[in-house]
Amino acid sequence: MLVTYIEAIRQAMDEELARDRNVLLMGEDVGLMGGAFKASAGLQGKHGADRVVDMPISESLIVGAGVGLAVQGMRPILEMQFIDFISCGFDQVVNTAATLRYRHGGQTACPIVIRGPSGGGVHGGLYHSQNPEAWFCHVPGLKVVAPATAYDAKGLLKSAIRDDDPVIYFEHKFLYRRIKEEIPAEEYLVPIGKAALRKEGRDLTVITYGAPVHAVMKAARDMAAEVDIEVIDLRTLLPIDWATVKASARKTGKVLIVHEARLTGGVGGEVAARIAQDCFEDLDGPVVRLAARDVHTPFAPAMEEYVLPNQEKITEAIRKLAAY
Amino acid sequence: MLIDVVMPQLGESVVEGVVVKWLVEVGQAVAKDQPLLEISTDKVDAEIPSPAAGKVTQILVTPGETVPIREVLARMETDPAAAAPVEEVPEKWDEETEGFPGHMARASAPPIPVPPRIETSALPPSAHPAAARIRITPVVARMAAERGLDLSRIPGTGIDGRVTRKDVEAYLASGEARPAGPPKAVPAPVPKPTVVPPATGAGPAPKAAPPTTSGEDQVVPWTPIRKKIAEHMVRSKHTSPHVHIFAEVDMHKVAAARARSKKEGVNLTYLPFVIHAAAKALRETPVMNAIVTGESTVLKKDIHIAVAVDTEKGLLVPVLRHADRMSLSEISAAMDDFGARAKSGKISPDELSGGTFSITNPGIRGNLFGTPIINQPQVGILRLGQIVKRPVVIAANGEDSIVIRPMMYLCCAYDHRVIDGVAGNGFLYRVREILEAGDFF
Repeated sequence: MLVTYIEAIRQAMDEELARDRNVLLMGEDVGLMGGAFKASAGLQGKHGADRVVDMPISESLIVGAGVGLAVQGMRPILEMQFIDFISCGFDQVVNTAATLRYRHGGQTACPIVIRGPSGGGVHGGLYHSQNPEAWFCHVPGLKVVAPATAYDAKGLLKSAIRDDDPVIYFEHKFLYRRIKEEIPAEEYLVPIGKAALRKEGRDLTVITYGAPVHAVMKAARDMAAEVDIEVIDLRTLLPIDWATVKASARKTGKVLIVHEARLTGGVGGEVAARIAQDCFEDLDGPVVRLAARDVHTPFAPAMEEYVLPNQEKITEAIRKLAAY
Repeated sequence: MLIDVVMPQLGESVVEGVVVKWLVEVGQAVAKDQPLLEISTDKVDAEIPSPAAGKVTQILVTPGETVPIREVLARMETDPAAAAPVEEVPEKWDEETEGFPGHMARASAPPIPVPPRIETSALPPSAHPAAARIRITPVVARMAAERGLDLSRIPGTGIDGRVTRKDVEAYLASGEARPAGPPKAVPAPVPKPTVVPPATGAGPAPKAAPPTTSGEDQVVPWTPIRKKIAEHMVRSKHTSPHVHIFAEVDMHKVAAARARSKKEGVNLTYLPFVIHAAAKALRETPVMNAIVTGESTVLKKDIHIAVAVDTEKGLLVPVLRHADRMSLSEISAAMDDFGARAKSGKISPDELSGGTFSITNPGIRGNLFGTPIINQPQVGILRLGQIVKRPVVIAANGEDSIVIRPMMYLCCAYDHRVIDGVAGNGFLYRVREILEAGDFF
């Protein structure tokens, strides 16, 4: 079945709402309007207004209510209209949802999913282009996923809904309708915590996730004649699949990490540090990061291009590291 | 300043402790928190740290003495050079305020020294001529070390002439590589370079690799009780050369006695019978009813049998005092009581200490036989095997015949430092004899 990335997300929620009466969808405009991006189109009509619930514009309330429902045995999916605004619900995420299992000595869980559109490249300006995943990767008790394909978008969302811990699900709005992909008609899940080896190679590893996966794959294909590139799509950012990451780093000895989120304090820093520490004697070059410049995402298209990683910058970084 | 070292209260219900061993001598200088002595209480064994830096001036109790809490154990002269005098009265634990910011800010350790603006390196600056440096990468360094390669002979093609992995691989493939050491008799085909690091005399023993855990695995840190059990088990195995001997016991008379009691409304398990028999046999074999202290064996007058009881938190071993004076039904009642109270966590530390011999019973989900570990400082332990009906050969009226009997393997472990085969074997033989005779009253 040929679907877009956003249709894969809609299908995942539709199937889980049908499968389990405890699953709810809550968020701003998710019901009547079917979501700002139409990720929940038709779900309220099909599953009822008591299960696909329009919420006031208060992310703190949406997450807080979700945590309360989760404690009572429900499995709410909480949509942030833009993931940028998850910061309004930050306290509920890091101090309430993430600590719940710990505070109760493992006797309770917090099965919520917080999902929303992240990422730039769509000229959304600084409040509608953010990639705040690194904030949450610092918090024990959370799981963080960021699918790059329609297949993973569906399989990871279904796994996230069934997971007993709070999962922050970063969907990339640039990919919503730019990806059309064949996915299985029958039900499937993608496990949380498992990276995908997108391409095997011998010379150099590129570790990435989210939208840049596609640019990296294009670079790997285009540059095949000069350098044999291995591509790892992390898919889950917390916990990271270290076994896959380290095995590849040891194999090629050269690692480039690419993400769209900002460089300083980004997920790439943690990946680079772990590789440097655990794979030092196998390295044949410095672990290099390519990420957004340390500024806010500008609105002007040319400036946005300047700030975010793109095809050209990825190619250049690969070439430089390969020659090291 | 002269200060007292007192017996601390190591648990809510602990009122006294036994001094096991002094770790310091009179006149010895000690650091703050240096262990002064080992004590043993009903609940825990512990080392008592020195309250301050100074010199031990007086030791007031001898090993083996039982001392109530807060009693003075030793006196010491504090070191005048050591920082400001320690606060005399420790701050009272206040449930109202503990855990609040005030507590977090409380100074409980010496102040953190302020680092100097710039700490100069003690080493002279390295005199490494930059020009002579060969640029390599970490993996190249490792490959060169493993294969004994001379890096100056490998042409580097990386940026600034850096030798990369590919360069080393190309060099090795070219066949130019020769081991740097004295040439060995090499067979005609170029051997695959070994990946063994060069021998450098007696290297450190290989460290055990840390266990790999996957995300699904659960790492359970040891609780203090688990740690205690672990230490005890290892210590026992290290301390006592265990000899394990087995007896096959015909339990049919015990079974008959159980059936009789049941008719009278008393539900007895097999365990009380074994305790009863062991107590009787211990009375006849004093060396088995003993503890070891230092290089002496103490033959205990009283027979206090420790019986393993499984609880949620781990193994508890309450002690049946004067088990030899108890009737079967008293033993049974005491065991039921221990079982019930162990579950609710209401066994007092007193009831866990003072055993002179142990019995362990794997219970209804037991098995044929096992080799128990001695409960230190005791010298023997019995373990019940499963009771299984088996055809056995008996001699009746001068004729052999096969009958079905409930049989049980009984294992006895004894400490061969203290117990010789004759005593150990004799003890187990007696236990078997008593059980088979079926005379319990």
